[in-house]
Amino acid sequence: MSEAVVDRYEKREVLGEGTYGVVFKAIDRKTGQTVAIKKIRLGKQKEGVNFTALREIKLLKELKDPNIIELIDAYPNKGNLHLVFEFMETDLEAVIRDRNIFLSPADIKSYIQMTLKGLAFCHRKWVLHRDMKPNNLLIGPNGQLKLADFGLARLFGSPDRRFTHQVFARWYRAPELLFGAKQYGPGVDVWAAACIFAELLLRRPFLQGNSDIDQLGKIFAAFGTPKSLQWPDMVYLPDYVEYQHVPGQPLRTLFPMASDDCLDLLSKMFTYDPKSRISAQQALEHRYFTSIPPPTEPASLPRPPPKRESVNSRVSDFNPQDGPTVLSPPRKLRRVMPQREGFDINAQLTDTMDDHGNEIRQTAGERSGQAPMSLDFSVFGMRPPSRPTINSADRSHLKRKLDLEFQLPEEE
Amino acid sequence: MRSVAGLGQRLMADFTTSTHRAKWIFTPQDLKEKYKNANKRAKQTLEQHGTTQMKVDIDGSFSLVKPQNDAKDNADKHSRPKALKTEEEQLLRAFYEFKIQDVCDAFKFPRKIQATALIYFKRFYLQWSVMEHHPKNIMLTCIYAACKAEENHVSAEELGKGIEQDHQFILDNEMLSLGFDLIVYAPYRALEGFVNDLEEFYDEELVQSEILKSLHDSAKMEVDKIMRTEAPLLFPPGQLALAALRRSCEIHKVIDFDRYLKSMLSRQHPSHANSELRASMNTIDIMVNKLETPTSKDVKHIDRKLKSCLDPSSHEKSKKRKHRSKESSIDMS
Repeated sequence: MSEAVVDRYEKREVLGEGTYGVVFKAIDRKTGQTVAIKKIRLGKQKEGVNFTALREIKLLKELKDPNIIELIDAYPNKGNLHLVFEFMETDLEAVIRDRNIFLSPADIKSYIQMTLKGLAFCHRKWVLHRDMKPNNLLIGPNGQLKLADFGLARLFGSPDRRFTHQVFARWYRAPELLFGAKQYGPGVDVWAAACIFAELLLRRPFLQGNSDIDQLGKIFAAFGTPKSLQWPDMVYLPDYVEYQHVPGQPLRTLFPMASDDCLDLLSKMFTYDPKSRISAQQALEHRYFTSIPPPTEPASLPRPPPKRESVNSRVSDFNPQDGPTVLSPPRKLRRVMPQREGFDINAQLTDTMDDHGNEIRQTAGERSGQAPMSLDFSVFGMRPPSRPTINSADRSHLKRKLDLEFQLPEEE
Repeated sequence: MRSVAGLGQRLMADFTTSTHRAKWIFTPQDLKEKYKNANKRAKQTLEQHGTTQMKVDIDGSFSLVKPQNDAKDNADKHSRPKALKTEEEQLLRAFYEFKIQDVCDAFKFPRKIQATALIYFKRFYLQWSVMEHHPKNIMLTCIYAACKAEENHVSAEELGKGIEQDHQFILDNEMLSLGFDLIVYAPYRALEGFVNDLEEFYDEELVQSEILKSLHDSAKMEVDKIMRTEAPLLFPPGQLALAALRRSCEIHKVIDFDRYLKSMLSRQHPSHANSELRASMNTIDIMVNKLETPTSKDVKHIDRKLKSCLDPSSHEKSKKRKHRSKESSIDMS
């Protein structure tokens, strides 16, 4: 039975490897379509099918949209679970990082519009993505941007359901999550989308905190410490701590090149109180998307040049730090494991910041505020500092949390 | 039937585009045919190979468990195990469906999980005969998969321990569950929506909240029953919920359900054929009234038959000591 399924795909080169499997390219003999197959080892695991994979299968089967990655097939074979996805050429992180690419305001508008479209679709279907970041926004051969990696995603909408707050890579985590909120909604994805929006404008991650506390410090340094009038529920959040008041900076200073409409939308997406934060759908209806310039046609968007061996959809795995072996291609190597030396550089950067001592919370803002529009990391030797994904401490915590959620069952 | 399929959509914006609606709502003829085909296939296998048991590999691929040679050799016409009839298969499924609710109650799982497990179980046996995969194993696998899919994780070990069963096969079988779509819509949420709506509708007449609560509670119990019939494979959850609510109103006799239904339809689905919906509810009603809850005594002989289909050597043995022992092959508490 599964023989037939296996025969359907003609295996090609390996695209990457992660902690729980290999991704390789293949041709679907039935349709002639190029696909990416994520092979997940099953082994004799104590808890059967990998949770992340299960969530991905479960949700992606229901989510069919031009801005969501298509799960074509899922089948078991020889002790591995195979997830067949449409083949994607690159991702938004690669676009942002590519110094040879110039992103016009119209290009930025197009990329963020597609991101919000995918997100609005998820939210309409009661799905929270919970791991929005440029590296999870894949770009297809025709420039279509699609949300991928639904390994942390889940359904929402049941009243009083409690979730873990340990989701998203730190730089994209909304302030309510950083304050330990257990009941949250689609606003968390919108905040992350706002960070991606800012990253498209700045061509570097916007709020690069090196701890959860520091992340909040960075947020407050940019937008000012929230007053209770702005966000009345803040003080009731589980991990709420009072931060010294800082004024924040005008968005115009942070994003000097952005249009007024752009800044207006950005400020609505970066609203502190999740209850007043703009929804993905409302964001799409914002005048930014109808004012000039119109968004670039996806097919005309600037993308990194295709490699001889095409690059694909990443090895999904929220912790590449565990030491994946990257087989090919070189650019992938950089993306999957920027660590090692890169890590040290990051540590140095961190040290420098720490030298400012306890002042971090107040001074952090100056850093992000005065960072040049385009950071050239070559001055540090080579690679830009590593992006935190969900780190291993978070991850074990996360695993525990996810496992524990069943203790708060909810009756429909 | 399709035109009424969307009823209760307001409560579930995403049911309309779900795999549940697109792939897992059938006609009664569809179901009959599927059950017949599965039974026929297993019967043929039994005739050709003397056994029906499918072995599941770690990766979810199947192979027939070949009987031992000696069993095969004396497999003459007379000693060959007899196949189950479709009615017997149905009875056995009904027995294990009741068991699913039992086990879920014992673990105090939410109703949604129970319903999800039941739907997985039903979907599974549209493709397979109970002669090919023992329903006891599939029952536990479905419960395990339902917990996982609903993010109420329970370890396989714990689940196995709770009912004194080895848990390894739960994991071995889990891959089977991937063949079907994991997000299913149970009627409980739709029911909640209708009860809220009912409350608003009768607001000026001051229906006491205790009455509504007991109405809701007994309607939930009606849904529990509906979930064990074939109705979940035939009707969308909104209609199942309405049928349950109507039954509950009949028990309590405090609310004029007909009046509510008319008003609800005119408010939300003016174009809806009222009679069509009523026909569906009547069909569901009949199914619930006919619902059997077989006891282990009822299925004992079927289970014995099943055992010899799955393992012909046990058939031989049991024939030999037919009168000597009265061992029961069903030992689930």
